[in-house]
Amino acid sequence: MSSFLTSRNVADVLNGITNGVIYSLVALSLVLVWRSTRILNFAQGAMAMIATYVGFAVLAPTTNYWVSMVVAILAGLLLGGLTERVIVRGLYGKPEINPVVAMVGFLLVLESVAAAIWSTSSRGLPTPFSMVDWQLNHKPVAMSPFALYEIVTAVIVMTVIALLFQYTKLGLRLRAAALAPEVSRLLGVRVGRMLTLGWMLSSAVGAITAVLVASNYFTGLTPTAMDGVFAFGFIAAAIGGLDSPVGALLSGISLGIILQFVGDYLNSNAIILVALGMLVVSLMVRPNGVFTRSAQRRV
Amino acid sequence: MRGVRWNQRIVAAVALAAAAVLASWIGVGTARAATGLSVAAVVAILGATLISSREFRANHPVVARAAISVVAVDVSLTVTGFFSATVNSNLAIGAAMSIVLLGLSFLTGSSGQISIGNGAFMGVGAFTVAIWANHHATTPIAVVLIMSVLAGGVVGLLLGLPATRLRGPYLAGMTLAFAVAFGAILNLFGSWTGGDSGLQLPHAVNAPTWVVNFFTPQTSSLTTNSVWLVDVAIVTAGIALFFMANLFASRTGRAMRLVRDNDVAAELVGISLPRARVMAFIVSAAYAALGGGLWTMINNAVTPSTYGFALSITILSLVVIGGIGTIPGAIIGGLIYAFSANVIAWFTAHTGLNPQGNVASQLNGIIFGGLLVLTILFAPTGIAGFVRRRWLAWRSR
Repeated sequence: MSSFLTSRNVADVLNGITNGVIYSLVALSLVLVWRSTRILNFAQGAMAMIATYVGFAVLAPTTNYWVSMVVAILAGLLLGGLTERVIVRGLYGKPEINPVVAMVGFLLVLESVAAAIWSTSSRGLPTPFSMVDWQLNHKPVAMSPFALYEIVTAVIVMTVIALLFQYTKLGLRLRAAALAPEVSRLLGVRVGRMLTLGWMLSSAVGAITAVLVASNYFTGLTPTAMDGVFAFGFIAAAIGGLDSPVGALLSGISLGIILQFVGDYLNSNAIILVALGMLVVSLMVRPNGVFTRSAQRRV
Repeated sequence: MRGVRWNQRIVAAVALAAAAVLASWIGVGTARAATGLSVAAVVAILGATLISSREFRANHPVVARAAISVVAVDVSLTVTGFFSATVNSNLAIGAAMSIVLLGLSFLTGSSGQISIGNGAFMGVGAFTVAIWANHHATTPIAVVLIMSVLAGGVVGLLLGLPATRLRGPYLAGMTLAFAVAFGAILNLFGSWTGGDSGLQLPHAVNAPTWVVNFFTPQTSSLTTNSVWLVDVAIVTAGIALFFMANLFASRTGRAMRLVRDNDVAAELVGISLPRARVMAFIVSAAYAALGGGLWTMINNAVTPSTYGFALSITILSLVVIGGIGTIPGAIIGGLIYAFSANVIAWFTAHTGLNPQGNVASQLNGIIFGGLLVLTILFAPTGIAGFVRRRWLAWRSR
């Protein structure tokens, strides 16, 4: 039993899950925005990165991880709301490439501003838990207290989001505003406010993700730290279907596991190539995502 | 020019040409240089005469477009003779960038798709040229460039296949993933691409001897490498521009604009959506690869870090700021790219920012990103569209 737990394949699965929950969180934050406003937020990673910088750079003297985490989440909420009000508001009803272009521009601005203020050099973050793997009969199990903390955090975030959407009045309004804006407006839902709230939630999820990423990865926190993670998160979201939070969750974790095996057995450079290949194939076979019931686009 | 008759036009053209020839013989020292300048002036004036006729433009659109390209290339080539080597190398980079922008402009402006991965497609062309040059020493430039176009087209086809069934944001995300993945892909084939350090060209790209002999070393143009390369870039850009102008106006181009504006209507009139979308994607990838191939020749080397994600974003912002879906917009974007570094350096020098500081080094991204957001919010047609609207409003007063 113990040799099974420390074997190569189990290690791959465990590491894959740890990476996968991160992809799931990024995918979830994309899905939240996509469902409410039909915009793919290319600046998602950069917004989360800014929130993390705010949390950890502004409060550097205190260096209390949990205080910083809370500040980062608040910064994420604020940034998400501001972005929706200032930039995205003007883009509803425009050709669908306009929001793409605007968000890419915003991404560039955010990364440059972060580099201008905090420089491009990497910044290590404090970690609340040990990143050294647990041992079993003097062999490492591919799971550290920090990895477990990541997984637990991700589960908590997803549960909170799911409960919010399924079982609260606010969640009902959020869903209604996204699904049938005209009708919900007639029924007294403040649709504009709900869309802002959707962006705020998504951005807060992003902030939590970025904090986990920046303290987990060896690269630390840099202005471009989220680029790669965002790419994988997008691939997970697109495979799962941008409309489906459950799809985002499942495909994020599966992607993490599959890619861990690829990196272990093939070549670490092949990881993103395989991910790209999976994206291409899955989009050709199921353009609306594996986990969405296929729906006709309205003309 | 509407009321001008042909005979008046021809008289004016001949008079102008004679004046130009006279001026170049008086003004320029050597006989060869004067001959070159005279030829350039006569070609420009004859071409301009043809183009100035609305009737001619309407009856012979292809010839008119060819004339426009020839005049543009002719004038650009002539002025490169008077610029410094630095300005010329900036121009060469900008001309190659214009080609890339033309491709993306076509993809976005004609078929309504968008690519955030054209920097990586440039990289495909750039590495094609470098790899070929490292294995086969002497191949004519034109052949190598055509190979980079083909390589770009093939990669574009592979990535464009899902475009048959995808709409905007999904496709944009996929190209973004490609742009982010490009570095790792290059590393994967490290024995060919040279890994992180990239490749050097074994020989600098020189002017062929017959060109040098024809133009003798006294003329300022075509003698040094930098001038030769800027001229190659400009001629290539001219050819690319000519093809793109025809493509925009052709049946295919019109079909694609319909796909962009209303894909259901396009399908109803018998346009194959998948084919139109993949075609546009291939064309844009091939154009990007051509620009990348030129960059390798100009820089005499290729490094993977050049073709990162940042370049793709820059390309997108240049297209949007210049004017999406227009040919002048692509040229404006190329010029902006060529001289933006100089303008920003001038700006930092005059505002007292520390040129080595964080802010100064990030100014480029802040300005381009900010302009991109502002353009798409307040003037989605870019500089070219804005100027055109002003011009039409002014003319119809």
